[in-house]
Amino acid sequence: MFSPELKKGSLEMLILSLVESVPRHGYEIGKLVEARSGGRLTFALPTLYPTLLRLGSRGWIKGRWVERAGERERCFYRLTNEGRRVLAEKRATWRQYVAAVDDVLGTTGA
Amino acid sequence: MRDWQDYVRRHLRLSGMTPEREVHIVRELAAQLEDFYREALARGRNESDADAYAAAQITDWARMAEDVRRADRAHQAPRLDRLTSALEALPPSQPQRGVLLMLTHLMRDARYAVRQLIKAPGFTAVAILTLALGVGTTTTIFSVVNGVLLRPLPYPEPDSLLRVHELVPNYGRFSVAPATFLDWRQQNSVFERLAAYQGTSGTFTDVEGPARIQGAAVSWDVFELLRVPPARGTGFTADQDKPKANNVIVLSHGLWQRRFGGDPDVVGKSVSLSGMPVTIVGVMPADFYFPARTAEYWRPIALNPANASRGGHFLGVIGRAKPGIDLARASAEMKAISERLALQYPDNSAKESAEVVSLHEQVVGAIRPALLTLLAAVGVVVLIACANVANLLLVRASVREKEVAIRTALGAGRRRLVMQMLSESLVLAVTGGAIGLLLAYLALTPIQTLSAGSIPRVADVTIDRSVLLFAFGVSVLTGVLFGLAPAWHASRAGVGAVLKEGGRSSVGTGGRWVRATLLVVEMALSIILLVGAALLLRSFAKLTNVHPGFDADRVLAFQVALPQGPYPEDSNRIAFFDRLLERLSATPGVRAAGVVQTLPMRGGYVLSFDVQGRPPAKPGEEPSANHRVVNPDYFQTLGIPLKRGRLLAKTDIETTKFVALIDDAFVRKHFVNEDPIGRQIKIGNGAPPYEIVGIVGDVHYDGLESTAAPTMYVPFKQDVFGQMWVLARSDGDPAALGNVARQAVHDVDPNLPAFSMSPLATVVSESVAQRRFSMLLLALFAGVALFLAAVGLYGVVSYTVSQRTREIGLRLAIGASPGDVLKMVVGGGMKLAAVGVVIGLAGALALTSLIAKLLFDVTPFDPASYGATALLLLAVAALACYVPARRAMRVDPIVALQQE
Repeated sequence: MFSPELKKGSLEMLILSLVESVPRHGYEIGKLVEARSGGRLTFALPTLYPTLLRLGSRGWIKGRWVERAGERERCFYRLTNEGRRVLAEKRATWRQYVAAVDDVLGTTGA
Repeated sequence: MRDWQDYVRRHLRLSGMTPEREVHIVRELAAQLEDFYREALARGRNESDADAYAAAQITDWARMAEDVRRADRAHQAPRLDRLTSALEALPPSQPQRGVLLMLTHLMRDARYAVRQLIKAPGFTAVAILTLALGVGTTTTIFSVVNGVLLRPLPYPEPDSLLRVHELVPNYGRFSVAPATFLDWRQQNSVFERLAAYQGTSGTFTDVEGPARIQGAAVSWDVFELLRVPPARGTGFTADQDKPKANNVIVLSHGLWQRRFGGDPDVVGKSVSLSGMPVTIVGVMPADFYFPARTAEYWRPIALNPANASRGGHFLGVIGRAKPGIDLARASAEMKAISERLALQYPDNSAKESAEVVSLHEQVVGAIRPALLTLLAAVGVVVLIACANVANLLLVRASVREKEVAIRTALGAGRRRLVMQMLSESLVLAVTGGAIGLLLAYLALTPIQTLSAGSIPRVADVTIDRSVLLFAFGVSVLTGVLFGLAPAWHASRAGVGAVLKEGGRSSVGTGGRWVRATLLVVEMALSIILLVGAALLLRSFAKLTNVHPGFDADRVLAFQVALPQGPYPEDSNRIAFFDRLLERLSATPGVRAAGVVQTLPMRGGYVLSFDVQGRPPAKPGEEPSANHRVVNPDYFQTLGIPLKRGRLLAKTDIETTKFVALIDDAFVRKHFVNEDPIGRQIKIGNGAPPYEIVGIVGDVHYDGLESTAAPTMYVPFKQDVFGQMWVLARSDGDPAALGNVARQAVHDVDPNLPAFSMSPLATVVSESVAQRRFSMLLLALFAGVALFLAAVGLYGVVSYTVSQRTREIGLRLAIGASPGDVLKMVVGGGMKLAAVGVVIGLAGALALTSLIAKLLFDVTPFDPASYGATALLLLAVAALACYVPARRAMRVDPIVALQQE
């Protein structure tokens, strides 16, 4: 539905925002993106997982193995302080970008 | 359901990642695939469909691996790992693949080990410090043993250099009489060359004024014998080795540099030596010395066969054995010659024989037991250090069990695991070793200062290649020794058990046993060292408490030597010393001044004697005694008490009756139940009989360790020497008298130096320097051992407390008092200490007889030393247990019970 380039450009931001308030594990993140986008956005494991690792490498998220009641042990990711700063920045940029594109396309109002 | 971890591991080829990271990624991907599988099941698919669905999530594994590797750059292993992977990918038939692979593995293990160690700085610091102490002390002592005992003497082919002694009845090894030496040289067939030498000293006079320099009078061919040619000029010729022809001299490199400014044209020049002109014919190379480093010039000894003495023994003799002649053969022949001479000259040589020893043995034989004791002691220190670090590693291994189990689960072979653990020990050992080597290097100068004069050749001690090799060897060996047990132990732990336990330690009982055993061994070894140190300490205390028979405090000693030229007759010499003594006594600050030909603690001067009126002794069995030539004030100067009769008087001179004093030891040995006063003795110095006029107190002339030997004193005016020691008792610090004394000598004869100047107390303390050296070092090692053992005990008890926090909390919760906990923890540690003490005491009983030679007036089984040592160790152990026990007492039961 969306081109891979478009999707890839936004995946990092999507992941950061999903672990912003609650730590989540990798599978959960994939499923949430799918659910919240109403099935319009899906990412296969070979795309999602390296992105998680990359975000971790940059120090924006941090994974930790946790065993929750009644569940298997999983690696839960949460946002680091640095990640929080980056996410705020990305959000602002994204909104400005969308607004600018909208202005040009003339899709809002008038 | 399939094992997803296994599935991922089989497909995902992640090269060049750290093992932990690899584990993490495999686990996480497996967990996600399992999520997909469960989701499919939940949606009603059957198992095989669900499995296929999950498996289909990743199809291009190579791409996946590549993406993961790229994304995870931060965790990527450096070049070395990639190199390893590349090597592993090569076909096994490739040449050198194995060796290169082993090398990269080794380096990778080492790097991994370094990272692990940095993560545990406390553990690492303690372990490295422990090892540095162990390797440092061992290397220090080894460098001494190496320089003194092991390194060959600095002459080519040193093995064929032999020392020949005379064996004199009642005295054993003795210096050689000139006539005997000349006969030996002529009659033997085992030596290429045989040379005699005698220490000497001479006064060099130049613009800086007179200076006394030590040298040696030697047979003309001694340099050829030693096979060391002069660096400049030549040695001596046979013609120069004759009386009146020997006005030639060879300089040492040091003297040439110091006194002649390294003048390249020095050969052929004439200098004044003790008032006589001599011609410099050669300069020896810089590193040459003979017979001791103190000798700075050589002259031909010029023995005169026409009137060589057979009764005066004062020569050292060395020989170069002919090729193929060994010590036994040389010994047998020299013995045969000497025994023949003894029969031929019964007046002078009755019952004498000869003994041959290797020159090396001669130089270092006496110090060997002390050095080997010290080497054994430091060996024990290293063992303790090993035990300590092994214990630390065991504790660490039990903490790291889970890591090991995961690595095993990931397919690491046992060999790889053992290698990995071992490389950690080796990294520790090599780092500790390097610091230890540095410590040894720093300790070298203090050791040389401390032992100068008491250990021969100690100036030869350096950190050379053998010392470096030794330090490296000890480090690696200790690394393997203390690393092997924990590595083996850890690699054996069952994987499943550990993982199921959720990370709690299971090394449990087995580990505890090993740790306890190591600790007991440590304690026992420390006790052995401590007992040894205590025995030496008590010996030393007893020795320094021996009253030498004189009061050395506030006495300055120095030597004056009168050259033959200006002082040809006895009367000239007597006049000189008379004026010097007069001048010194008149100096403010000098209470009394004396002269004597040999200083206490500085070797003997023994003469035979006959008590007149007794049947003459058989040749070779004449009694003998210390002979001292002194002035009347000598006794006041040294505080030697008069027991009976009178002291010597100023009026006892060469023209009056010959009188002598004897001491209590002389009376006890030679005048049992007789009154010696008024008796006449004929002393073997060629003088008329002396009448005994008084008895004085005993003096330990031959050192504090030997009992006071019978001594006779005669007035210096009745038997004067050309070289005498002058003693001055001062009101205060004797060293302050130095300039006054030099001035007094200068006033009497401006051409004479006062030399070998030193407070007498220093001379006495130097006589026990070797003992002090051994004692201090052994005490130091015992201290290090005790410290290490205490650290070890502390570590083990601390660890036990941390493992038992829950149990302690429970005990406190059900009513145990903190006191009970204290008792339990300290009691546990002290039990181990007590076992160690008992074993150690038994070991000490068995081993200390080895150092019996080094003891003085203390038996190797001295109960006080054993008792004090045991108490000390138990006290230190109690302290080491008390600290962690206090922590245990403060455990909050609620917190402790909530821990799990």
